[in-house]
Amino acid sequence: MYKSYHKKIVATTLFASVVLLGATASYASGDAKKARPSVINGVPVVYPAMTEKELKAAVGPVKASLSKSVKNKYDFNGKAIVDGGVYYPIVNGKRGAYYVNEKAHKTAYNKGKKATANEQKAWDIDVMPDGTGLPEGSGSVEEGDELYEEKCQNCHGDFGAGAGLYPRLTVGNAYEMQKTLMFQRVNPENDGPQRAFGSYWPYASTLWWYIKTGMPHQAPMSLSTNEVYALSAYILYINEMKIDGVEVDDEYVLDRKKFLKIVMPNVDGFEPKIDGPKGQDNARKYFNNPLNYGNGTRCMKNCYDGEPKVVRIATGLTDFTPPLSSEKTLPEVKADAGPVHAGKKVYDASCAVCHATDSMGAPAVGDKAAWAAVLKKGIDKVNANALNGINGMPPKGGAMDLTEAQLKEVVDYMVGASK
Amino acid sequence: MNKINNVSKEEIEVISEVSEQASRRNFFKKTAAYSMSALAAASVVAPVTVDANEHVKANPEDDPNIMEEKPWSLKFGDDVTVNLYGKPSPYEHNVTRRTTEILSSGNMRASIAVTPIQDMNGIITPNGLFFNRHHGGTPTIDPNQHRLMIHGLVEKPIVLTMDQLKRYPNVSRIHFLECPANGGPEWRGPQFNSIQFAKGFMSCAEWTGVYIKDILKDLGLNPKAQWMLAEGIDNSHMGRTIPIDKVLDDAMIVWGQNGEALRPEQGYPIRIVVPGWEANLCVKWLCRLEFASEPFYAKEETSKYTALKQTGKAIQHFYANEVNSVITSPCPEKNWEDLKKGEMVEIEGLAWSGMGTITHVDVSFDGGKNWVEASLKGLVLEKAWTRFSIMHKYTGKPMLLSSRASDDAGHVQPSVKNERVAVGIEGVYHRNGIHTWEIDAEGEVTNVQILS
Repeated sequence: MYKSYHKKIVATTLFASVVLLGATASYASGDAKKARPSVINGVPVVYPAMTEKELKAAVGPVKASLSKSVKNKYDFNGKAIVDGGVYYPIVNGKRGAYYVNEKAHKTAYNKGKKATANEQKAWDIDVMPDGTGLPEGSGSVEEGDELYEEKCQNCHGDFGAGAGLYPRLTVGNAYEMQKTLMFQRVNPENDGPQRAFGSYWPYASTLWWYIKTGMPHQAPMSLSTNEVYALSAYILYINEMKIDGVEVDDEYVLDRKKFLKIVMPNVDGFEPKIDGPKGQDNARKYFNNPLNYGNGTRCMKNCYDGEPKVVRIATGLTDFTPPLSSEKTLPEVKADAGPVHAGKKVYDASCAVCHATDSMGAPAVGDKAAWAAVLKKGIDKVNANALNGINGMPPKGGAMDLTEAQLKEVVDYMVGASK
Repeated sequence: MNKINNVSKEEIEVISEVSEQASRRNFFKKTAAYSMSALAAASVVAPVTVDANEHVKANPEDDPNIMEEKPWSLKFGDDVTVNLYGKPSPYEHNVTRRTTEILSSGNMRASIAVTPIQDMNGIITPNGLFFNRHHGGTPTIDPNQHRLMIHGLVEKPIVLTMDQLKRYPNVSRIHFLECPANGGPEWRGPQFNSIQFAKGFMSCAEWTGVYIKDILKDLGLNPKAQWMLAEGIDNSHMGRTIPIDKVLDDAMIVWGQNGEALRPEQGYPIRIVVPGWEANLCVKWLCRLEFASEPFYAKEETSKYTALKQTGKAIQHFYANEVNSVITSPCPEKNWEDLKKGEMVEIEGLAWSGMGTITHVDVSFDGGKNWVEASLKGLVLEKAWTRFSIMHKYTGKPMLLSSRASDDAGHVQPSVKNERVAVGIEGVYHRNGIHTWEIDAEGEVTNVQILS
């Protein structure tokens, strides 16, 4: 049931899918460079391809004038500086402008205690592309869909389309959207590159690691291994991805073995190549060539022809907190707001994320009508809902360390602040 | 003579008594009398009349701020027990970090607060104004319960308490920390008529801590270790991968910032400082370093902090913040509306490079067509804010004022046009194109870009 609904939503709300309908014809599958469209629906979307000669003309040559206190190779391995910069060796007891107690940095110091195997296991939470750190487990798209509605939808929107300023988890079909990554908003009316998990991220391990250790935002580390597999399956599903040639459909069950077979559409979309034993050397080579990222020239006279082309602010952003001011005045004294409610601190820490505004579907604190509607159920029911969860709100709002008494205080505060 | 003047007289007497090393007994007697009359005076602070006014007649051209006594010069200020950990004058309350909702990732616990660089002096940012970005709010960590674990491809994995960590020999270094998204909202054109928002995603401080290489000497680092994961213990558990060469060069674990402990929002009790590189690599609330032969691919080095080029390929592991500069005076917040024609004025700014040390800064008054070299000013240190300055006779004519910095690694700031040629306009991160202010005939300053 929900699958057909989902398809409908994706087709109508994710504008990128619509945009691409006109563009897919000009893509050949395979070599993206050859198929690179420059115009979609009459609007230019990319910069014209450039020869290396043109690029060299625009990027200035690097002219390092190395002084005695600076080297372009490390002392400790004789290799070029990994970031394309310089190295400051200790010369006559100084590193650059700083005096150094050289003896202090030649000694090995035996400090601390050995990290036990258990301690390392407890803290080693990262998950690497080769599966290091990825535990056994499984979860289905269907389970993931339920979990998503319960714990994720409030922020990430229906079917991962994003809500407010929270990130979207999909921009549509990952394989199609990956092709938009060369789009540039050269004109205000054209669409830019569509970056989301499916279209952009190089490895799926990052998704698993991030959900497990960083999500839900207000209650990280609260999801079980199987729940993370289920949510990963659901996110692969809304990105319309395949694993080992098999479409991740609404009946798909994901486990560790299948997870390690995920090949992201944009796995080759990143430079320099940092994998393998040459990884660091590849980065070194890349950043020592500014053609890869730009550089200027120190021209002093008549650096270009004609009058300067000035671009001014089109739509200024001015919504600053606090507003800009350079006045030297005493701050306005705020009227005494009275004693602070015992529930306010907990509210600020654990509940405001969802209840500060109505953008996530939760009744906003201060919204009299919304809270009047909530209170029709009776305060006991409201307290029970806070404890057990309701609609998109997980039990205790995900703040599992709160006691029942604290929850009641919070509800009392929220009700009182919404009268 | 009124009572206030009596107190002043007493005060002078007390001070001179002390300086003359009067007898202890005498001193205490005097002080007691002084305190008594001070209390009396404090309760009778009436509208102030001063002897000077009775003798000197104020003329219209006289500044009343000089001719009239101020209450703060005629009564006691706060005693030393007030604000034992000091704070700025209340008159400076507009010098503050600021934020804007559109730069958050959904809520103010995954957001940024930018530094008022228009109000900064020299090269050190006060800790209370230091740029702040976090991904899950600022935690309040008990340092007694905090641990640093170092493990992975080392023979001897260890755990350190904060006291043990501080037993390694420490170093203090002045380095800027810059968010690689500094200026990032303006790839497609200027958006902020504010230097604070256009360039304030950065700050500079003196950091005190240990070189990671000094800790590693005893741990038996495996030669296969190419990468180090640094991870925080806060809500976001944010991790970043750092190449081993930087670890063996100048990466530090720090607990001190400008002479005091790190502030909570800067990673208390400890953070990493990776000099000159993306400040996002400088993981706060640091709890774990793991060494590995392959990179980790953390979220903040894949989904974010990668710079998408017009080729459709994205730069990953984009380490150093490239050479950059901005004129801080004038700027939209500190304009030239008060200047008179013919008046000499100092143009001043900040230059910085994550690849080395600033060697030159050039200034253009005509939108980057012609340039003159400015003076560097004050301390010039590697991977640190560097002040530059050039004197200018104000003419009242409109101008396009730009700065362009070079570093000792041989890099020069590109024009906006040439930066776009090299990487396009969708990269979000690492924008270091030449920054320009437009100054109109009234001395008002606006943020513009030059595409010539």
